[in-house]
Amino acid sequence: MRSDGVDTAHVLVIGSGGAGVRAAIEAAGYGETLLVSKTLAGKGGCTTMAEGGYNAVLREEDSCEIHFEDTLKGGAYLNDRDLVQTLVREAPERMADLLRWGAVFDVTDSCEVAQRPFGGQRFPRTCYAGDRTGHEMMATLIDRLDAAGARVENEVTIITLLQDGERVSGAIGLDKSGEMRIILADATVLATGGGTRIYDISTNSSSGTGDGYALAYKAGAELIDMEQVQFHPTGAVYPYDARGRLVTEAVRGEGGILKNSLGERFMGRYDPERMELSTRDVVSRAIATEILEGRGTEHGGVYLDVTHLERKQIETKLPVMLEQFLKFGVDIREEPMEVAPTAHHIMGGLRISPEGQTTVPGLYACGEVTGGVHGANRLGGNALADTQVFGKRAGEAAGRAQERRKEADQAVISAEENRISAFYDGDISPSTVVRSLRTAMWDGAGIFRTGPALEKTREIIIHLLMLRPRAASPANLAECCTVQNMLVTASLVVRGALLRKESRGAHVRQDIVQTWDMQHSPYGHTFLSRSREGIETEVQE
Amino acid sequence: MKDLAVKVFRFDPECDESPHYQTYLVTVNEGARVLHVLHAIHDDHDPTLSYRYCCGSGQCGSCAVRVNGQPVLACMEEARDGSIIEPLDLPVVKDLVVDMEPYLRQISSLVPGEEFRMPTAEEVEEIKPLRSCIECLACVSACPALKVIDFAGPAAMREEMRLALDPRDSGDRVTEAVRDGLFTCTSCQACWKVCPKDIQIPGKAIEKLRALANKKGLTLPRHQEVSQLVRETGRSVTRTEPTFMEQVGEILEPYGPVKATVGFFVGCMYNQRLPQTAHDAMEVLRRNGIRVIIPKEQVCCGSPLIRTGQLDVLDTLKRRNIDAFVFRNIDTVLTMCAGCGSTLKNDYKTPFRVVDINELLTRYGIEPPARLPLKATYHDPCHLMRGQGIRDLPRELITQVVDLVEMPSICCGSGGGVRSGIPEEAAALAEMRRVEIEKTGADIVISSCPFCEFHIMEHTDRPVKNVTTLLLEGYREKDRKKASPEPC
Repeated sequence: MRSDGVDTAHVLVIGSGGAGVRAAIEAAGYGETLLVSKTLAGKGGCTTMAEGGYNAVLREEDSCEIHFEDTLKGGAYLNDRDLVQTLVREAPERMADLLRWGAVFDVTDSCEVAQRPFGGQRFPRTCYAGDRTGHEMMATLIDRLDAAGARVENEVTIITLLQDGERVSGAIGLDKSGEMRIILADATVLATGGGTRIYDISTNSSSGTGDGYALAYKAGAELIDMEQVQFHPTGAVYPYDARGRLVTEAVRGEGGILKNSLGERFMGRYDPERMELSTRDVVSRAIATEILEGRGTEHGGVYLDVTHLERKQIETKLPVMLEQFLKFGVDIREEPMEVAPTAHHIMGGLRISPEGQTTVPGLYACGEVTGGVHGANRLGGNALADTQVFGKRAGEAAGRAQERRKEADQAVISAEENRISAFYDGDISPSTVVRSLRTAMWDGAGIFRTGPALEKTREIIIHLLMLRPRAASPANLAECCTVQNMLVTASLVVRGALLRKESRGAHVRQDIVQTWDMQHSPYGHTFLSRSREGIETEVQE
Repeated sequence: MKDLAVKVFRFDPECDESPHYQTYLVTVNEGARVLHVLHAIHDDHDPTLSYRYCCGSGQCGSCAVRVNGQPVLACMEEARDGSIIEPLDLPVVKDLVVDMEPYLRQISSLVPGEEFRMPTAEEVEEIKPLRSCIECLACVSACPALKVIDFAGPAAMREEMRLALDPRDSGDRVTEAVRDGLFTCTSCQACWKVCPKDIQIPGKAIEKLRALANKKGLTLPRHQEVSQLVRETGRSVTRTEPTFMEQVGEILEPYGPVKATVGFFVGCMYNQRLPQTAHDAMEVLRRNGIRVIIPKEQVCCGSPLIRTGQLDVLDTLKRRNIDAFVFRNIDTVLTMCAGCGSTLKNDYKTPFRVVDINELLTRYGIEPPARLPLKATYHDPCHLMRGQGIRDLPRELITQVVDLVEMPSICCGSGGGVRSGIPEEAAALAEMRRVEIEKTGADIVISSCPFCEFHIMEHTDRPVKNVTTLLLEGYREKDRKKASPEPC
């Protein structure tokens, strides 16, 4: 309901990817729900770009225990076990929701959802719709969102969370012409997705700028394991502007093999058992090592080859890959792709309960903005499942929140007005700041890390935080806020990386010699909030 | 790195009275896409430029714009020097940002029924091609019908068909589609040709929905009359004079040595309504060494029935037509009707090759005609340009006779059963053609399809002629000059 420029709802959901839309669908069953999207709902976020699939235990021969173990092992045992239990147990039910609502997944001849093998899993449990699985899910979810009766505000960028004392009571946003929007809610669900756009090379859509981490951090929430950034092993390497574009793990799931410039199938040296279908952290480091040691291709990648597969298999199982590479002049039926690692997913994020409750009252979270589900390395196919399982849970918990008196705090609103209008007097273009940040993060907080390089990166970020980005027009204000969010997110990643003095999963500290294996690490989560930071040291079971 | 100059549409309704175009010189990387040019303008020249984008990899459908008039995804289309970048042909919010929401809202959602049954593998295979739509609205931008009449548009029709195929959906999609303008589509194929996902909306959605509508008795009365006529006479139009086939023998020998022999598929329009044009074409072929065989038992190709979803007699028509040529051992069948040509090439499985007359004449080369002191414009028939991919060949022929002034290639409104079924829409589209023709200042209009020629003729004061008629006039001028050489 809108009056006097103030919009109210029972539940406010921020973000329109898989998790946000799933949360809104659920919350709408409890009361008026407003979903606010920085983009056109359904088009933003990374779900729609997710290609490979959705992990769910659907067959007798498979079991939730194995899925649980695979996830934990893949996550280098840093995962929050309760969250993983929830994920593996409910992923099949959430898949059933999608199917009931009309999702068109590939099926077997006996009308069961087809599954393909994915990295780090002992059973082929990745359900898929060709190589446009996430797009299929989004299409289905947006359909359902309509029917569920949630309201949608498109192209409004949330720039700060409103608080009533400690409790989150809504948010302030900017619409596309730069007008301020006040939204008050009994409960707020943060589903803003990830933030690997802070890196020079990234698979993320334009909305992967880490806004949620920054908004929640500023509101006092605690984040865990922010150093855990997944570099997807296979991103495109050319043309230059398309670098980092995701080349789905399904390519390897379907039988694609990796070769260096000498024609060696090098994965044998890094993980002879699982080869190309090892976990993403291992494959990424293997590829990065091959390139660093001079066995890379002309464009600075390695070869990913499917030319030995049937043309029909490529055309039906990998149509998006085929189409994208053809656009760039490579027929993957005839010649190998060139690939290199690309920043893909932030495993860390808001500390949540299995109900999606963050450490701040009134604030719930789901999807990539949360931490703990995937530990130190996410298995391919677990993120889409995560969006649905925890999207539903967060939406439900928020929906059950108590009704409260909704009043906007004029002082906070004025302070925010002052903050943003200062951007008109800024002195540097936001895109210049972003460029510097991305290079610094790629160089200093990438696949291989050291203490000194991380320190240097932190200094660069601090410097960039002191610059004053300039808004050329009201429509540019949101961009300035986004740049600041990116800087906050980057600083969280770097701080986490400095706190974790071990190599674990995706996080590699080359300057630290350790004597333990992953399963016996003395460390638990790193944690960061405005009031405390550190690393848990209780010994893992 | 390389430098590119591009012209970009700028319009801020808040402060501009009308749109203007701004030229930018940008430096981009090799292989840069249109989107990267827009980024470069935004980052290095003018941060107030508004444009939408999101995934950057052709999967979200946020960034469609028109480049040199053609709708494309900015993130996938390679940037080229001298390009003109404009918003889609939808209401502009600012610069390259258009209001997509009203159209997105018209796309139906699945309504789960009481009983749940998973689609079978076959059903999934059928649904999948329609499901890859990213709702970028390139098709909506390109669709001529929805500019003149209420029509939910190609993207929405695609979803109706996808839902009609899904056993989980409980909606009455066919009735809904009819209500939302199913019969307004002219089969021009523009939506399919601009679709970044190559979804064949006219063939895989519109025609299929019309066939389902036919089973429900929802075919338009005028379309039923056409079907009735085909069943009774083998022809989709009535005759107004002796038909072409009644006036010619079965074999037409060329005047000179035989370069090639073809069977001629005449088509209903040239046979029944525009026989003189067919005679003109025969004369041009005879002058150029083409021997023509005309099997008299040929009938309507079935196009008017396929486009309107009336498929019951189709197989009989196909068999009769194929047999007529196979019986005479003909290996190449000539069409001069764009609609027949497209149908024989795309909807038939023929044991012979099908060539359009523009292909035939340019393949064997023609005797040079004399030039006529006229300025002409050319109307691209949809079923020739998009249906058969023939765009340049007629222009090669025309420019041997007259000067050619181009106009945008847009459907004239006569196809897809629209001329008979929804005449006011057909007239509105033809009126738009008239305006474009006027703008060119051309003396005559040339085309290569009897439906287009007949329809445009009714809406312009300029003469409308077939390509071959124009060639023949060039030959007559040549003969006249030869007979009475002008004094030096």
